[in-house]
Amino acid sequence: MRRPTPSHRLLLRLLVAAQVLYVLGVAGAGYATTAYGQHIWLATQPVDLHGLQYESFVRLRYTAAEVPLTAWRGPTPPQRRQAVYVLLTTAPGPDSLATATGVYDHELKPAAGQAVLRGWVTEVYNRSLSLRYNLERYYVPGDSPLRLGKTSPAVRVRVSVAPWGQARIERVELLKK
Amino acid sequence: MSRNFLETETPAWVAEGLITEAQRERLLARYPSEAVQAVGLLPLLGSILVGLSALSVVAANWQSLPTPVRLGLLLGSLLAAYAGGEYFLHRGNRRVGHGLLGLGLVIFGASIILTSQLYQLVGYDVSGLLAWVVVGVLLSYLYDSQALTLLPIIIGVAVQTYCTQALGVFSYATLGLVALGSGWRWWRPAAGREPDTLVASLLALSLLWQAALWVALSHAKITWFFIPAMLVYAAGDWHPNRAAGRALQGPPLVAAYLFALGLALFGETDQYAGLLRPPVLAYLGALAAVLALSVAGKRARGTLASLPDWLLLLPGFYLPGGLPLAVATLVVLYAHAGSVLTRAHRAGEAEQLTLGTVLFVVATMVAYFKLTWAFLDKSLFFLIGGVLLLSLSWYLRRRNAQRLAAGVATVTGGAVAPEPNSRPPAANS
Repeated sequence: MRRPTPSHRLLLRLLVAAQVLYVLGVAGAGYATTAYGQHIWLATQPVDLHGLQYESFVRLRYTAAEVPLTAWRGPTPPQRRQAVYVLLTTAPGPDSLATATGVYDHELKPAAGQAVLRGWVTEVYNRSLSLRYNLERYYVPGDSPLRLGKTSPAVRVRVSVAPWGQARIERVELLKK
Repeated sequence: MSRNFLETETPAWVAEGLITEAQRERLLARYPSEAVQAVGLLPLLGSILVGLSALSVVAANWQSLPTPVRLGLLLGSLLAAYAGGEYFLHRGNRRVGHGLLGLGLVIFGASIILTSQLYQLVGYDVSGLLAWVVVGVLLSYLYDSQALTLLPIIIGVAVQTYCTQALGVFSYATLGLVALGSGWRWWRPAAGREPDTLVASLLALSLLWQAALWVALSHAKITWFFIPAMLVYAAGDWHPNRAAGRALQGPPLVAAYLFALGLALFGETDQYAGLLRPPVLAYLGALAAVLALSVAGKRARGTLASLPDWLLLLPGFYLPGGLPLAVATLVVLYAHAGSVLTRAHRAGEAEQLTLGTVLFVVATMVAYFKLTWAFLDKSLFFLIGGVLLLSLSWYLRRRNAQRLAAGVATVTGGAVAPEPNSRPPAANS
């Protein structure tokens, strides 16, 4: 029976250290996205809370996930599953909601008052495009007001977009009427 | 060999004088009673239960735990699994040691996913999960273990499936890591070890699955799938170990056979055949290149007899759809079954004979189903079909039995002849 040699054990330790650093790096990217990123508010459809009884997340349906086909800025017609860059414009003011003003097939630099979020085309209709941002699943924290169980509340979602393109949901707030 | 088998059989061996009573006891001592092994499983079962309870407590409260605690739990269990693995390996318990190392690798993947979920962070490319495949391949090179060799192959499938389905991109890096990293790990096992046939088949399946995902994602004609599939097959031709090579070739051959069968059954509608026709020159050129590679391998390893496997790859779908296509595919299926039977007869392999027989019967069934359904009354159809199949299987079975009996006769005849004073076997058994 062959036992691991010291050099074997050293290699394993290096490999394990690399894994720990990597996981810490993912966590660091999470912090950095909030610290150095751009912050925007996105509007959603009312949230269905039924799934929360069985799962730890809810599905968010963003208003910016449905855009008219006229917003498409590409040389060829959009295709399902295509990766896209969505230009979002916010009106001045800290609390104003962002709206999708253009869907591009290439990366672009946002001007002041704009942000770019990456996404995918899920469906192409006659007059509109349906998009997915991979921000649709919101894992509801234990102290979230969503846990207090009002059916289908209206919410707005605070999203940070890092300069290097990663995005994360910072928090979700109930809209006051 | 099971202990029960030894306990029931060995008294007869002693009685016949094959082994002595002392040898019988030594043999029995070599295989300890299974009751002892079952008792050895109890601590394992107990620790699994304890682990599951801890897991459910954590999972139930996961969302309410503060972020640092969650991160600490993930990293802590990661370190604990690897440390435990190293500890058991050091003590010489390889099975538990490798199991714990594998667990550590799985926890690493779970940590990546749960940490990005912790920060509600979006990954736009595969790089996050690619690290999982890289670590898996590296780990498989550090240890001589079947489980640790299989893990990155399975992880590669999971990552590639996620990548193509959720992100809409094909990760060539994942494919390359599995094909070259895990492939080389299997191709060149540790000194004094045979290449693992189970790893070979799962490796081929993993590569085929990824090839299928690539075809689906790129909206290419599905027949392009057979170019990478037959590359896997050709790699099997080059492997110095015959059994390992055949194990790698199993999945591509099964895929090609099922495709040919589908063509024979549904190929007569031109619409379906139209879905299969890639540009003639590009497809045939690529296929010919792979064929050349395969033939060169077969020649180098002296296995040219298996060349008729390629019959299944004849691009019959370029023929006009309808009856000609169905009939041509049937001819190919018959030729293939015949080639398997001939090869098995020549080599005297019982398993290959059975396989060839089954292939032959399947081809006959398809032929009968295709050609006579339209012309016969249904009850008559089933009656004739049943009788046809019964007689065909009877005939093939008889031929197999004769062939095997002839083989056994020549072998025993040759072995007994130079030993005239060998003892006749005891009459009672």
